[in-house]
Amino acid sequence: MSSGITNINNMAPELPLQLSEDLLSTPMFNLIHSFGADLHYAESHIGRNIRMSRYERLSTNGGQLDGSGIDPAPEVVVRSDIDAKVEIYAKTVVINEQVVLWENDKVLTKFTALLGQWLREKEDLLMRDLYASSVSYINATGGVNGDQPSEISRNDINNIERILLGNDARTMLETIEAQNKFGTAPTRDAFIALASTDITPDLQNVQGVLLKNAYPMQEGLRPEEYCSVSRFRFFVSSKAAKTPGASLTGATVYTIPMYGLEAATKVEQNNYSALLGYRPPYVVSSVAQNSQLYAKFAIGRAITNQNWISGLNVTQRL
Amino acid sequence: MPFTILDGGSFTSTAAGVKIPLPSSADYFKIVNVTQMAAAGTTCVAGEWFGSKFGAGATAANDGIRWRKAASNAILIDTFATATATNGFTYVTTAPVVEAQAANAITGITAANPAVVTQTNTYANGDLVRIYNTTGDLTIGGMVFQISSASGAGYTLLGLANVAGNGLAAATAGNTRRISTFSAVEPEYLYITNISRATQMVVSVSIDPANYYVVGNKVHLSVPASFGMTEANQLTGTILALNAVAASGSIGAYNMTLDIDSTAFTAFAFPASALSPTTRLFATLAPAGSKTAYDPVTLVQTGYEFNLTPFRTGEFVPYMLIGGGGAGNASGAANDIINWASYKFET
Repeated sequence: MSSGITNINNMAPELPLQLSEDLLSTPMFNLIHSFGADLHYAESHIGRNIRMSRYERLSTNGGQLDGSGIDPAPEVVVRSDIDAKVEIYAKTVVINEQVVLWENDKVLTKFTALLGQWLREKEDLLMRDLYASSVSYINATGGVNGDQPSEISRNDINNIERILLGNDARTMLETIEAQNKFGTAPTRDAFIALASTDITPDLQNVQGVLLKNAYPMQEGLRPEEYCSVSRFRFFVSSKAAKTPGASLTGATVYTIPMYGLEAATKVEQNNYSALLGYRPPYVVSSVAQNSQLYAKFAIGRAITNQNWISGLNVTQRL
Repeated sequence: MPFTILDGGSFTSTAAGVKIPLPSSADYFKIVNVTQMAAAGTTCVAGEWFGSKFGAGATAANDGIRWRKAASNAILIDTFATATATNGFTYVTTAPVVEAQAANAITGITAANPAVVTQTNTYANGDLVRIYNTTGDLTIGGMVFQISSASGAGYTLLGLANVAGNGLAAATAGNTRRISTFSAVEPEYLYITNISRATQMVVSVSIDPANYYVVGNKVHLSVPASFGMTEANQLTGTILALNAVAASGSIGAYNMTLDIDSTAFTAFAFPASALSPTTRLFATLAPAGSKTAYDPVTLVQTGYEFNLTPFRTGEFVPYMLIGGGGAGNASGAANDIINWASYKFET
């Protein structure tokens, strides 16, 4: 054994730990459930429920004048009212002064960022629940996994396109035109489809799938986008809707809302769509030792036109 | 760590389960059955629940410490999950609840209106169950039904006319899983079990629609071609009445009358069981707003119902479910006065 050598055994570093120059990322799931929804606003002081109204189209039956001077029968106009209740959600973090004093990071700043992330994530899940609860879905049956519903297939997707087109739904996304690039293909103007990351292997297997990297142009694409099939562009999230034990054989069923323009809405309360606040220690604690951060937001949500939204229930195969 | 009492209250038991909303959550929860405390008997007089901050001492779902009286009025202490299974406390933080339970086997579903299910169970009237793994009746596998006339040996599905005229047959096996009464968002979509051919169509559904819809609401029908009545697919109608038509033939007891004339439509029937899993399912209806109207004859105004009509959260969470079932259970016997209090650690 050597002697006389100064080493880390007889002279340990004064500081046994050094903090890396940057924080690691806080995980965040893909936020896919809000961007396809229309935005409406609720004013203050006029009630909690917001009503959105639509005049239904007039009948095109008849209408010819026969020259006798007899007027055609008048038609009663039908108005449909869609109501949404505005609800408030909040999250708070209480911090002791010793954390603020001794934690290596500036925790109030970091915690404020966390609350901001919570705000958007919570909003996304609330919109997901709207799609999962209040829309009619059709079981996929074109797959081969033997369950009801089966895994997703081209036939099932085409059936939803037929339903939406039959109801005069308008597409949400514009055409991406073809370009002279190897391995790419154009996408048509498209409806939106929202799916779980659990079924991405099955999506890759759908006949005619165009993975995102094969779009002729990548500019402006959202990172959550996964692929395009027929008239639908699929966006995926690990938090997309799924129901355990709901298939014929008791497997998890994944719900895929597929919709066009003005199918759903998110209502924001004016001046209450995203509030971040700080309560100082002398307010929170009698000895001024705890401070508080909070985030609040108000949201209403509604399916505004069931004709323009449909979707699939699917199970996994791969 | 000091405790703070957060909230408290009192209710009169109906012997059914009671949900206590707890906006600020809870670490400790206590009930006292004031009625039984003062009476001689052998019933539960108090209960305690411990939250996750108690670590290994936390209370399991549907359990808790039970204080009960012996015939001599002496106090005995056990848990709700004793050999005689009774319902204790369940702290619920997410909705809808997905009940973690072992596969609960059905031993038969009758070919009748209403269908009667044979199954050893602990369900209560009004519970919703999802039926799956069915045999004989493959096309109802995955659907949700509301149960009634519940006993430990079976129950009735008032929303299912499980008869040949409706394309259905008896089942010999299957499984169930209990699910939440309300979806994450209401009004929710409902499963259609029949549509009549009439000047005002009667749409039978698998659960009581009066819990989710009111007269004047509009509903949008989704009827895959496999159910026959293709003319009804993608139509929207206004609800004229709820549960106004008695069950008969293929019409179930849970139904709604719509302002859609279906007399010339093709008959509605479930696809043959043997066609599943390759035939498209299910027939459903979904909320499509409401139609505001005033009837000068009945003086009834519809379309301004602001409790059930707006899209909204289905159920507030978190809440404490105080289990029902009678005298030995946490919510006590009918007419018992139950005091409750929730506590929380200050830090």
